[in-house]
Amino acid sequence: MLAQSEGPMLAGRDVHRHFEGMRAVDGVSIEVPRGKITGLIGPNGAGKSTFLAVLAGTLPATSGTITFEGRDITRLATHQRARLGLVRTFQLPSEFGQLTVLENLLVAAPHHRGDSLFGALMGRGYWIADEKRLVEQARVLLRRFSMSAKESDYASTMSGGQKRLIEIMRALMLEPRCLLLDEPMSGVHPKVVDEIKYYLQTLRAEGLTILMVEHELHLVEELCDSVVVMAQGKVIGSGTMATLRRQPEIVDAYLVG
Amino acid sequence: MNTYYAANLLVYAGVDIIACLALNLQFGVSGIVNFSFIVFQAVGAYAAAVLSMPPDSANGGFQTYFGGFQMPFPIPWIGGAIAGGLLAVPVGFVVLRKLRADYQAIALLVLSIIANTVITNATHLFNGAAGLALVPPPFADQIDPNTPGYQYLYVGMTAVCVALVYFVVTRIVNSPYGRTLRAMREREIAASAIGKNPVALKMTIFVVGGVIAGLSGALLVGFIQLWAPSVWLYPETIILFAAVIVGGRGNNLGAVLGALLVPVGFEEVTRLMPTSLGPPGLIPAFEWVAIGLLILGFLWFRPQGVRPEPRNVFEGGPETDEVDRARAV
Repeated sequence: MLAQSEGPMLAGRDVHRHFEGMRAVDGVSIEVPRGKITGLIGPNGAGKSTFLAVLAGTLPATSGTITFEGRDITRLATHQRARLGLVRTFQLPSEFGQLTVLENLLVAAPHHRGDSLFGALMGRGYWIADEKRLVEQARVLLRRFSMSAKESDYASTMSGGQKRLIEIMRALMLEPRCLLLDEPMSGVHPKVVDEIKYYLQTLRAEGLTILMVEHELHLVEELCDSVVVMAQGKVIGSGTMATLRRQPEIVDAYLVG
Repeated sequence: MNTYYAANLLVYAGVDIIACLALNLQFGVSGIVNFSFIVFQAVGAYAAAVLSMPPDSANGGFQTYFGGFQMPFPIPWIGGAIAGGLLAVPVGFVVLRKLRADYQAIALLVLSIIANTVITNATHLFNGAAGLALVPPPFADQIDPNTPGYQYLYVGMTAVCVALVYFVVTRIVNSPYGRTLRAMREREIAASAIGKNPVALKMTIFVVGGVIAGLSGALLVGFIQLWAPSVWLYPETIILFAAVIVGGRGNNLGAVLGALLVPVGFEEVTRLMPTSLGPPGLIPAFEWVAIGLLILGFLWFRPQGVRPEPRNVFEGGPETDEVDRARAV
């Protein structure tokens, strides 16, 4: 029997997502290998973000199966998938505006004794040890992403790039096994793009699996170990950027789209 | 000041404070726009009434209602709180699971209107439009309610309830669970992406708020000794929303302040106005205009309210004056 750690981290088989007859995702099969960064590219309206949302559970699949570490997760809700370690970010900034930067991280921590009605009613003494441990854990992340000075600022006051970083740090607080990033660099200053790129490479070096939707092909080329190309709801090719560039039908589809 | 007048004012203040704390937990902290809030207070009041009243054949059978269990205090109050929580289960199940937040608000508003119409017309349930009268106050068989001593006792019992509710909601709001609720309010879809279950969170808070609202109704009906559809029309919910918005959404002290400024304050100010000012009904009509202007004014000029939601700064972080200096540059 194949050991669980040898198969793909995340796989979709014949995944469909239709919107009243419109086939946004039309029979996509994909395997996301462990410890690698996989890129998902394609023209606007190709169904990339919809597919990512279906993988994360934000949108239910019309049909098909999704497995995570060999387990069928097709019917699980978003929050259940997140608890298993499959965590997504969003195309538009999705910070919790009226929470401070530090709180944005703390709120994502799983297994907090104070994060239930019972725990809350038991009072501070019941959960303060967890809180202190998690504040330390969050501060390590803030230092790593050079955001320590901002910890007490409301997330709503941060710049677009900083909100991206908050979202990535927040996802990391869950200690995920697989990150689904939806255009993590869009609308971000080039200097911050370099920072995010560096952080993603370090995360990969630590063994994290990443699937990312990205439009900037030079970033995809630099970051991704392999790439999946989608157009009109279907996968039209996959491989490294170098091999894809040699296939004229893919270049056509991507450029004409 | 007259003892009865003072007691009346203080009990109403207590009831409004309790209601505003519950609405703040639902709306201010968790983002549930509960436009049927007053229904939960009403169901608590009706439950407390029929639990404490004798069967409807008493007093010559001049009113009809179901139940009439003649239970001693504190069972009617506990029953009122439980009734509020129980009602929240089916309502939450229908409204909070599938609907988007703005449709939830509309559905809850409509529910409030339907509930009032049903109770008004289903005369056998709670005596219809005439409502329930002669609801026995707590300890009525032991102490004469028409004595100053009893008035003080009732104010004291109200104060205990206010303190208890304040304690409970403060524990919830200031905990990591409260932080999760605020995150859900800010962006529900992102909250589910980090492993929070918005439906479970909303259902829980809907029930907790329902329990507190039910208690406030039980408290009120024990004091005024009557309850009818005309006292829980849907605009009553709007007054409580105004109080929470004025006081400061997400701030418990703000909710207390809002309760004192809006429902209590408005009653008292209009009481002082001469009734000969114009045609009858002019002052109550102006009250509604004033409530509307108050909500609009605050949402426009000070949306965070008199006491904004506090910002949580953790020990051991960067020095706050350092942060402030950095911000000033």
